[in-house]
Amino acid sequence: MTNYVLHFINLTYMHNTYSECSFGMDRSMLRTFIRILRLTIILMIAILLQVGATGYGRKISLSVKETSLENVLKDIRKQSGYNILYNPNLLKETRLISLEVHNVSLEFALQKCFEGQPVTYVIEKQTIIVKSRSAPAAVSNEDVASLKITVTGTIRDSAGILSGVTVLVKGTTTGTKSDQNGRFVIDVPNDNAILVFSFVSYLTLEVPVKGRNVINVVLLPDTKGMDEVVLVAFGVQKKTDMVGSVTTIKTSDLKVPSSNLTTALAGRAAGIIAYQRSGEPGQDNADFFVRGVTTFGYKTSPLILIDGIELTTKDLARLQPDDISSFSIMKDATATALYGARGANGVILVTTKQGKVGRANLSLRMENSISAPTKNVELADPVTYMKMSNEAVLTRTPLGEVVGGGDVFYSDDKIANTKAGANPNIYPANDWKKIMFKDNTQNQRLNLNISGGGGIARYFVSGSYNKDNGIMKVDKRNNFNNNISLKSYTLRSNVTIDVTKTTEMIVRLSGNFDAYTGPIDGGAAMYTKVMRSNPVLFPAYYPLDEEHQFVKHIMFGNYDAGQYINPYAEMTKGYKDYSSSLMLAQVEIKQDLSFLTKGLSFRTMVNTNRSAYFDVSRFYNPYWYKLAGYDQTKTSYSITNINPDQGTEYLGYQEGPKNVASTFYMESMLNYNSTFGKKHHLSGLLVYMMRDNLTANAGSLQLSLPFRNLGLSGRATYAYDNRFFAEFNFGYNGSERFYKDKRWGFFPSAGLAWTISNEKFFKSLPNYVSNLRLRATYGLVGNDAIGRPEDRFFYLSNVNMNDPSRSAYFGRDFSGGEGLNGVSISRYSNPVITWETSKQKNLALELGLLNKINIIAEFYTQDRTHILMDRSSVPVTSGFSAPIKANVGEASSKGTDISIDFTQNFKNGLWFSARGNFTYASSKFKVYEEPQYKERYRSRIGNSLNQNYGYIAERLFVDDEEAANSPRQNYGVYGGGDIKYTDVNKDGQITEADIVPIGNPTTPEIVFGFGFSIGYKGFDMSAFFQGLANESFWIDVNATSPFASYVYDGEIIGGKLQNQVLKAYADNYWSEDHRNVYALWPRLSPQVNANDAQTSTWFMRDGSFLRLKQVELGYTLPRKVQTRLHSSNLRLYVNATNLLNFSKFKLWDVEMGSNGLGYPVQRVYNVGLNVSFN
Amino acid sequence: MKEYKFTGIILLMLLSGLTSCRKYLDVVPDNVATIDNAFTMRSQAEKYLFTCYSYLQRDGDPEQDPAMLGGDELWENDENGGIYKNIAKGLQNVVNPYAENMDYIYRALRDCNIFLENIGKVPDLKDAERRRWIAEVKFLKAYDHFCLLKKYGPIPLVKENLPVNADANQVKVFRAPVDSCFNYITSLLDEAIPGLPLTIDNPTRELGRVTQLIALTFKAKILVTAASPLFNGNSDQQSLKNHDGTQLFSQTVSKAKWDSAAAACKRAIDMADDLGMKLYYYQPAFQQFQLSDTIMTQLNIRNAITEKWNSEIIWGNTMMNTSYLQELLTPFLDSRYLDETVTKGLYSPTLKIAEMYYSSNGVPISEDKTWNYSARYALRKATDDYKKYIRNGATTAGLNFDREPRFYADMGFDTGIWYGQGNYDDSQDQSLFALAAKFKEPQGVGKPGYGTVTGYYVKKLVHYQNVIAQTSYSTSGYPWPTLRLADLYLLYAEALNESAGPTDEVHRYLDLIRKRAGLLSVKDSWTQFSTNPGKFTTQNGMREIIHQERLIEMAFEAQRFWDLRRWKEAAKELNTTVMGWDVNQTSAAGYYVPKKIFNQSFGVKDYFWPIKDYNITVNSNLVQNIGW
Repeated sequence: MTNYVLHFINLTYMHNTYSECSFGMDRSMLRTFIRILRLTIILMIAILLQVGATGYGRKISLSVKETSLENVLKDIRKQSGYNILYNPNLLKETRLISLEVHNVSLEFALQKCFEGQPVTYVIEKQTIIVKSRSAPAAVSNEDVASLKITVTGTIRDSAGILSGVTVLVKGTTTGTKSDQNGRFVIDVPNDNAILVFSFVSYLTLEVPVKGRNVINVVLLPDTKGMDEVVLVAFGVQKKTDMVGSVTTIKTSDLKVPSSNLTTALAGRAAGIIAYQRSGEPGQDNADFFVRGVTTFGYKTSPLILIDGIELTTKDLARLQPDDISSFSIMKDATATALYGARGANGVILVTTKQGKVGRANLSLRMENSISAPTKNVELADPVTYMKMSNEAVLTRTPLGEVVGGGDVFYSDDKIANTKAGANPNIYPANDWKKIMFKDNTQNQRLNLNISGGGGIARYFVSGSYNKDNGIMKVDKRNNFNNNISLKSYTLRSNVTIDVTKTTEMIVRLSGNFDAYTGPIDGGAAMYTKVMRSNPVLFPAYYPLDEEHQFVKHIMFGNYDAGQYINPYAEMTKGYKDYSSSLMLAQVEIKQDLSFLTKGLSFRTMVNTNRSAYFDVSRFYNPYWYKLAGYDQTKTSYSITNINPDQGTEYLGYQEGPKNVASTFYMESMLNYNSTFGKKHHLSGLLVYMMRDNLTANAGSLQLSLPFRNLGLSGRATYAYDNRFFAEFNFGYNGSERFYKDKRWGFFPSAGLAWTISNEKFFKSLPNYVSNLRLRATYGLVGNDAIGRPEDRFFYLSNVNMNDPSRSAYFGRDFSGGEGLNGVSISRYSNPVITWETSKQKNLALELGLLNKINIIAEFYTQDRTHILMDRSSVPVTSGFSAPIKANVGEASSKGTDISIDFTQNFKNGLWFSARGNFTYASSKFKVYEEPQYKERYRSRIGNSLNQNYGYIAERLFVDDEEAANSPRQNYGVYGGGDIKYTDVNKDGQITEADIVPIGNPTTPEIVFGFGFSIGYKGFDMSAFFQGLANESFWIDVNATSPFASYVYDGEIIGGKLQNQVLKAYADNYWSEDHRNVYALWPRLSPQVNANDAQTSTWFMRDGSFLRLKQVELGYTLPRKVQTRLHSSNLRLYVNATNLLNFSKFKLWDVEMGSNGLGYPVQRVYNVGLNVSFN
Repeated sequence: MKEYKFTGIILLMLLSGLTSCRKYLDVVPDNVATIDNAFTMRSQAEKYLFTCYSYLQRDGDPEQDPAMLGGDELWENDENGGIYKNIAKGLQNVVNPYAENMDYIYRALRDCNIFLENIGKVPDLKDAERRRWIAEVKFLKAYDHFCLLKKYGPIPLVKENLPVNADANQVKVFRAPVDSCFNYITSLLDEAIPGLPLTIDNPTRELGRVTQLIALTFKAKILVTAASPLFNGNSDQQSLKNHDGTQLFSQTVSKAKWDSAAAACKRAIDMADDLGMKLYYYQPAFQQFQLSDTIMTQLNIRNAITEKWNSEIIWGNTMMNTSYLQELLTPFLDSRYLDETVTKGLYSPTLKIAEMYYSSNGVPISEDKTWNYSARYALRKATDDYKKYIRNGATTAGLNFDREPRFYADMGFDTGIWYGQGNYDDSQDQSLFALAAKFKEPQGVGKPGYGTVTGYYVKKLVHYQNVIAQTSYSTSGYPWPTLRLADLYLLYAEALNESAGPTDEVHRYLDLIRKRAGLLSVKDSWTQFSTNPGKFTTQNGMREIIHQERLIEMAFEAQRFWDLRRWKEAAKELNTTVMGWDVNQTSAAGYYVPKKIFNQSFGVKDYFWPIKDYNITVNSNLVQNIGW
C-alpha cells in the first residue's frame, strides 16, 4: 500500500505544480477536473498493480500436505512467475513436504521447502535452479565412478538462444531441458559422459563432457524438416501429420537483396509459378500463381493472408523477411477448403513473429546494394537510324514523295556530317539512354527488431526502412529530384499478454508506408519514351550561348513546331510524389477451455485495416528551342525559341487520385485436440468468419456498396498410431455478389495419409529409407471473384439512366439546344450466376533416405467448373449492348510439384545442404463456349488457358509479285518483304480461320530452382539457380516497329512519337537490295505495317531461361570476438542476384517477356550485416 | 470463475454474429436502377425515345459515313489517313471490315423494340403523344433496317426482340430475301406515317424529329432503291442463297417497282408542295453589298445546303452537326493569321469530279460543241471576264474555265475565287480570297497535316459566313441535310423516266433544279450546245442525263457512293485511276499536269459489304456475300 501512497503523493505534487500555470481556466472547474483526473489515475494504478501482483509479486502462499517437492515447486512457479529448472532424477530422493505459509517472500518459501532436502537451489535471473547439495558428507557410501559433475551452458542456433532443448546424458534417461534463456543445468556421472542435445527441427548434437563445467552449444537447423510444425489454415499441424498439401518457404530463403519479397518466390517453393517482368522500384512485383492458372475468369491470383488478414500482393511485397515467422503455400483442396469460396486459386499464408520469453533480443540487419540492369536493349546508331528512316519512306512510296510532306527526310549532308561527328548541336546524335540513365544505383535496407518478454507479456517490435533509388540522372540545374526514390517504412508491434492463466491476448499493430518521388509518368515510361524519341533532330538541350546568356531555364531541344518528344525534358521537367500506406490493428484472444473439456480452446480475432494513397505532380512546361540556322564552314549556329507563350520557368501542379479503403475482419474459432488411449489422436476445429470492405472513391453506386464475405468452416482430423491419418474439412461460405439463393456454398474436402515407415514390417527392412509416406486428398473449393469488381452483382442489371453517349439533340439550335441523355444497359441481369468451383485431387509421396535426403513429390489435378464467360453463341443480330455472361466455362489443370533436399554434416564441422524444386502446371479448356468452327484447330478446347493464337508465318515475300499471287492477306497493304502467312484452311485467303494455336502458353508451365549451401566454421556460402520453361512470348511489333508512332494502352501522350530502331533489327532486316526472306525484321515502313503486326510465329520467342538467381557468401564472427562485442550473433555477408542468365533470347532480359522495352530487371550486388544482441 | 465469464462473453459475441449473417450479405439497397425505371413515367420514357434516336447515322461525317471517303469523290492525304479511304483503296476485308456497323444497328433495333414493348406501361403519357412516339420509333426501326440493307443487301430482320435466354437455335437467324426486307421496311413506314405530325409544332425544341413528310420522302427513296438495278432482278447476285436454298435476290426485273417508286415520290412531292416547300433561293432580308448575279447564283447553290432549316430541307440530321466538318474542309484561307491551325483543308475532290460538272452551257464538257475539251489540261490566263471565278490575270488549266456555276459554288481550286469567309463585297474582286494552292503556297501542301492532294477543295459544304480569326474559326453549323427537296425531285425524275419514259413531268423537275443552278433547261441546253442534241428524247439518253444531273447536284453530300452502287455503275466508275493535279509542284506548268494518285479497282463483291467473318462463325446460318 505504501507504494500507492507514494505514487499518489507524487502525482498530487505534480499537478499542484501544474495548476500554477493553468491557462485561464476557471479555478473551481479546474479543481473538479483535477479531482476527476486524480481519481482516474488512482484507479488505473490500482488496476495495474493488481495485475502486477498476480504476476510479479513475490508473496507466496502455500498450503500443502505430504506433497512432493516437484509439485510444490510447480505451485511456486505459478505464483512467482519464476522458471524452475531441475533434473527430475535429482528430485526422486526428495522427501514429501507439509507446509502452511501465507504471504511470505519467495526466498522464505523456498528455504522452507528445501529444508532437510538432499538438494538445494540457487536463483539466477528469474530462474530457480535446483541442484544437489555439494556437501561431501551427504555422500556417505560414495563410489568414485559415480561422482557427479554439474554442467551448465547455453544453447543457441544461428539466430539466437533456444529454449526447450532436450539435454540427455547419452545412454541414460538422465536429462533436462533448456530454459527461456537457453540455459541448462545437468549432472553428469563422469568425465566420459556424452551430452546429447536434441530439439525439433534441429540436428541432434552429441558433445563429450571431457571435464568441462560449461558447455555452450550451437544447434544447426535440421533441413530434413522432421517434426517440423507447419502453418495451415487457422492453425498449425505437425509436418509428420499433414494430409493436405502445404509447402513452406524458409524465411532465410526470402532474404534476398530486394525490397520486394515477391521477387524471391520463383523457384523457392514447389507449386509456385512465378516470374518478374519489371525492375522498377515500386512496380517490380513478380507475378505468381499457385499451381498455375486454372481459370479464365477474373481472379487467378492466390488469396494472400498475413496474420489471417486478406491483403494484396503489394502488402506481401513489403513484408520484411525478418518479421516473418512462417510462410506457407496451400495448394490442394484439403489445405484450402476452409477458405471456401475464396481459396480455389491457392492460399499464401504468412504469420509474423511473436515475442518469446526471455531477455530482450535485438536483431539488426543492414544492407547496401548496387543495382544495374541485367541487360540493356541496344539501339541502332543515329547514322543507321537516318539511313533506315529514308529507306522506310522510299521502299513504301517509291517516288519518295509523301504528299503533305509530313515525314522527315534526312539529307545526305546531314547523314555525312553526323557520321563525321560534326557539332552535335547542329547535327545531334543522341544516345538518349546514356543521356538519361546512370549505369547503376544504390539501395539501402535496414531492419531492426526487438523481442522478448516475461511470463505475463511477450513482445516483438520491428521497424524497417528501405530506400530504393531509380537509375535516372538528375539535372543539377533543377533543384528537385526527378529520379525514383522509393522509401518504404514498416513498423510492426506484436504483443502477447497472458490475461489469465488460460487466456492469452495478442495485439498486433502494423503499418507499411511508402513515400515515393520520381518522374511524373514513372520509370518505365522513361524507358518507353526513350524508345520513341528521335535521336537526330535535336540535342537534349542547347548550351547557353551569347544570345541567350540571360536565360534561366534549360533550353530543351525540339524540332519543327515543338511536337516531338524530348525524353530528357520529359524526365527533368518535374516530379511526382506519392504516398501510400496500410495500417492494420488486430486483437486476438485465445481462451483455453480445458476446464470444460480437456483439449478444447477458443480463439477470436478482430482486425481492421485502412489503406490510403495519394499522389501529386509538380512540373514546369519546358521551353523548346530549335536550330534556326547554321553556318557549315564555321560550325556556328543560332537557335530560336519555339514556344515562348507556352513554356514556364515556374512549377505547375496537378493532383492525382486519393484512394482510401477500409476493411473489417472477424473470426472466431473453436478448437479441440485430444488423444485417446495412446494411439488415437483426434482434433476438431470450427471457425466462423466475416469480412467487410469499403472503398471511398468507388466511382459508382454498385461499387460503393460494401464487399462482404461470411463463412463457417470446419476441420476434423484423426490419427491412429502415427501411421494412419484422416482429415475432413469444409467451408460453408456466402458472398454478397450473388442472388439470394446462390449466395451460399458448401465446399467439403477429405484426405488420407499413411506413414508406411512407421509400420512394424517396415522397421525390419533395411534402414536406408528413413521416411515413406503417402497422402491423397480430394475436395472442392470455390472462387467468388469471378468478374471484375464493376461487375459484382450479376443478378442485377446495370442501367445508366442518364447516358450522354446515348443522347439525342433536336431543335433549331440543335447543337446547344434541346437534348436529352439516353438510357443504356451495361449488364443484363442473370440471377443464376454463382462462383467457380474447383474439384481438386492431390496425391503425394514423401520419401526420406538415409536421414539425409528428403523428397516430396505431389501430383494433382484440378477441374474448374462454373467459370464465368461471355456467351459466344449470341449473334450480332440479337443486338445486346453488353455481353451475356454465364457460369458455363470449364477448365482443368494438372501438374507436379517436386522438392528434394539433401543435408550432410561432417565431423569436422563442415556442413552441406542442397535443395531443388520443380513445378509443372499445365492447364486446358474443357468447356469453352465458342462458335462452332468449321476448322477444328480453332477451338480452344483442349488447349492451355494461356495459349496464344496467331498466324503461321512462313517467311517474307520475295517480291511484290509473289505477294500478289499468294492467298490474299486481309490486313492492309503488303508486298515483297512483308510476312507471308500460311493459308491453313486453304480457302485462298488469310482470315481469322487461319489462326491456330502457336507456341507455348504465355505463363510458364515449368518453374524450377535449385541451389546449395555449404558452411564451415564461421563461413557459409550458397548459390541458387532458377529457371522456367514452356513459355512463349511475343516481341511487341507495334512498340518496336521502327519509326512508327506507338502509344501504349491507356497512355495519354502529347507529342509526336517515333520508335527507335533496335540494333538487332538494323542488323537484320529485309531490304530491296538484300532480300533475305528470313530476316528478323520485314520490309521497313514509316508506319506500323498492319500485315506484319498480326500475332504470328514470326515474332514468337522462347521464354525459357536458367539464371543464377543468387549467390551469397557469409561469415559469422567467432564466439570469442562476439562476446567481446556483446553480440550473440554477428554475420557479415555479400550476395548478388541475377548474376548470370542462360537463354536463347538476346534482345533484353528474357524474363521480362513482351515487356522488354520497360524498366529492366536489375542485377544487384549487396553487402549486408546481421547482428543480434541478447 | 473469471474465465467462465470471459468465455461466456466471447461465445455470446460469436452467436450474435451468426444469427445476423443472412442479412449481412444483403448489401444492395432497393432502388438500384433497372430497365423498368425507364418506363415508370413520361419524362423517363422520353429519354428512351431519345435513345432510339441517338443511333441515327452521322451522315456526312468522314469518320463515320463511308460514303464520304469510301468512293472516288473525295481523296485525302495518307498522313491523315481517314480510315474509310481504305474502302476506296480496295482494302475492304472480311476479318475486320471497314465501316462495319451491324453490331451498332442491331443494338439500335433492340432498343427500338424494348421501347415499343414497354411504352404502353407509362401511366402519365397522353394517347396522342404515345401514338406519335410509337410512330417515330417505328420509323426509326425502318430507318435502321434500311441502313443495313443498303450496305449488306439482304439482312436478318428484327421484327421483335428475342429473349435474353433464347436458346442457340432460336438466335441463329437467317438473312431475309431482298424483297421481304423492302416490304417489311415500307410496311413499317406505312404504319408509322399516320401517327406522325405533319409539321413540327415546336421548332425550337423538336426540329429534326420525324414528320410525315420525312417518312414519305424516305419511303420514296427506299422504293427508288428497291427499283434500282442493284436490287431489282440483279443477276450478279443469283448465286446468293441461304443454306436452305432461299434465293435472296429476285431474278426478275420488275417495272412495277419503278411505278410504285414514282408514285411514292409524287406523293411526297405533293405533300411538300402542300407544306409550301420549295427549292432554296438566296433572299436575304438585309444585304450589305449589292452582289453580282454570279455570286447570287453561287449563294443559291451553297446555301441550299449550308443555310440551316432552309426552305428545301426535308430532314436535317440534328445528330450530325457540321461545324467540325467545315473546319476540316476549309482551306487555310487567310494568310494573315499564321497561327491559325483550325482550318485544315482536308478531303480533296478528285479530278474526275472536276470533269463531271457541266460546262457553262449546262451540258457535259465532253459533249459541248463550244468547249475545248482536248485543251482542258492546257494552261490559260484568266481575263477580267472570269474575275468572279478566277483571280484576274492568273494562269490555270482550261478545265477551270467556262464551267457551270455549281462547279465554282462547290469547289475551290488554285487561282479560284473563294467568296465569303469574311470578305463579302464582290465588286472588289481583289478583296475576295483566291486560293494559291501550289507547293508551299498558303493553300498548297507543305504544312504537315494540311492541304489538298488533288488541287481541289470542297466549298459546297462550307457556310459562306464562317469567319477565320487569329487562332480560331467560327462556323455556322447546320444539321446535315439527309433529305432535301432537290434530292426528292431528282428521285422522282429518275423513277418516272424509268416507269414512263422522258415525259414533260421528268423535264419539269430536272429543269427546276437546273434553273436554280443557273442553267438552261435540258431541252435548250442539249439542243443548242450538245454534240448529241437528241439525247433527252430517249429513255436511255434521259437516264444518263438524270444520273449526271444527280451526281452534280448531290455532289459531296454522301450520295454518289450509294448512287453508283444502286445504278450498278460502280464497276465502271470505280475501276479507274484517281487523278489530281501535281500538287508538289511550284510552277503552273508543273502543277497542271494530271497525276495518278491511286489505281482503284472494283468488283461484283464490292457492291455489298462483307459480313464480318466472326459473325458468320457465330451464326453459321448467315451466308457470306458473294466474293468475300
